[in-house]
Amino acid sequence: MLAFLACAGAANAQDVIFVANRDVQVSAISASDLRAIFTGEKTRFADGSHAVPVILKGGPAHEVFVKNYCRETPEEFRAQWRKAIFTGQGAMPRAFDSESALIAYVAATSGAIGYVSRVSSAASVKTLAPEK
Amino acid sequence: MRLLASIIIVFTAVASLPAQDFAGIQFHGFVTQGFVFSSHNNYLTMQTSSGSLQWTEGVFSVSDTISDNLRVGIQLHMFQLGQLGGPNIRVDWASGDYRINDYLGFRGGKVKTVMGLFNDSQDVDAIFLWTLLPQCSYPVDNEGFFLSHLGGEAYGYIPLGKRSGKLRYVGYAGYSYLPLDEGYIKQISDAGLTFTNEPSGKTYGGDLRWETPLKGLLVGYSPMVLGLSGTAPGGSLLVPTFFMSASYAQFTRGKFYLGTEYDKAPYNEFLTLGQQQIYFPTDARAWYVMGSYRLTKRFQAGSYYSHYINKALDTSLPANYSKDFVLSERYDFNSYFYAKIEDHFLHGTGLGYYQSTNPNGLQTNSNILAAKIGFSF
Repeated sequence: MLAFLACAGAANAQDVIFVANRDVQVSAISASDLRAIFTGEKTRFADGSHAVPVILKGGPAHEVFVKNYCRETPEEFRAQWRKAIFTGQGAMPRAFDSESALIAYVAATSGAIGYVSRVSSAASVKTLAPEK
Repeated sequence: MRLLASIIIVFTAVASLPAQDFAGIQFHGFVTQGFVFSSHNNYLTMQTSSGSLQWTEGVFSVSDTISDNLRVGIQLHMFQLGQLGGPNIRVDWASGDYRINDYLGFRGGKVKTVMGLFNDSQDVDAIFLWTLLPQCSYPVDNEGFFLSHLGGEAYGYIPLGKRSGKLRYVGYAGYSYLPLDEGYIKQISDAGLTFTNEPSGKTYGGDLRWETPLKGLLVGYSPMVLGLSGTAPGGSLLVPTFFMSASYAQFTRGKFYLGTEYDKAPYNEFLTLGQQQIYFPTDARAWYVMGSYRLTKRFQAGSYYSHYINKALDTSLPANYSKDFVLSERYDFNSYFYAKIEDHFLHGTGLGYYQSTNPNGLQTNSNILAAKIGFSF
């Protein structure tokens, strides 16, 4: 696992790395499930366990994530969540200023899943491989 | 302006808690200030022919995720639109949401009514390019009646397989209330009948929207059944149960957006004023087509055409139609602040005009400039 994490230490500029709490049982996740979880459509992983999506407030990794996995612009992504909030249909994922803060939250929160541009092999989270 | 000052004070205080959550509790809100100027006629109960700032809106919501399946929340809403609205705080929605799994959930309480592309979100200014949504389908002077209902709904989605997309559904039943501070009641009041309690009626309906296999293409259909009745000192209002519907489609691809909707609402309104009974037949047919493009991260532009006729009456008369061609721009200063400006080329007087603010009659055509600034967190 450590070797895998070391290999997955940095995403190229066109992609992000998905990190999850260590209690998340799935090791891979489909692109459609990622989109569904981060847009609030789904609240569970494929094994039925509860998913807690967390996001970055902005930056290159957030833009790459939104473009590649949600097929939206960051502005559209924000508007969709605002719609969910103000219509009473959803609660905004917790958003972080920095990747280190996001990783720390994911490490401490059961079911949490987020994305970062790089992760150190020592991080106390697991990485999830997206299936495209 | 006193309303605006109150809203700003509340929002400034709350904004120091920037949309954060305390162990699941989230606070969100927005406030907007609008300006409208019209070349002819006074629009939406404002003195727009001389320019009006009487368009202020504020929303504050609190929600709490109690468990993996259960979420509760409430949203308070305050607005002033010319002679409509006022300092009263209205509950936009207040509901408990129990999601059994990703395919089935229930909401109960006062819940927003899903219909067409924008009914449940028509008051969420922060998410739209448009300063005014197509008034043929989403009249801002009457948004409260259709916006939400007291009752419950079941919702969820059905995956149809990789090649067939997915189906989202909502089914609901409850009661709708006609707010005393909005346009319908004002028009009835102008006719001589003043309500002290909100007319109400049973409603039920649903929404089916198919996310097609073609990425970004969504088509949907929303049927609704409702009726309305109420009594006032000196008279009554009755709208027998009727069926209305909205058919719609939208396509999004990157920075492009296209949307269209067709609405049909045939109903009869009986107004009793003392011994006199007045009958208003309506067969509302409305459609719009809209498109937009995000030119930069901060700047978005678009256009729509909105078309309304009352087929139950003589559609050659301007009072029975409204055709509006619109150009819109929006600039986002950052994630929180934005500004919008919009030009309307309005033909016909079927929507948005009131006798009390146009005592000398109406001209068929009017050009309208509408602008807004907003803050959302």
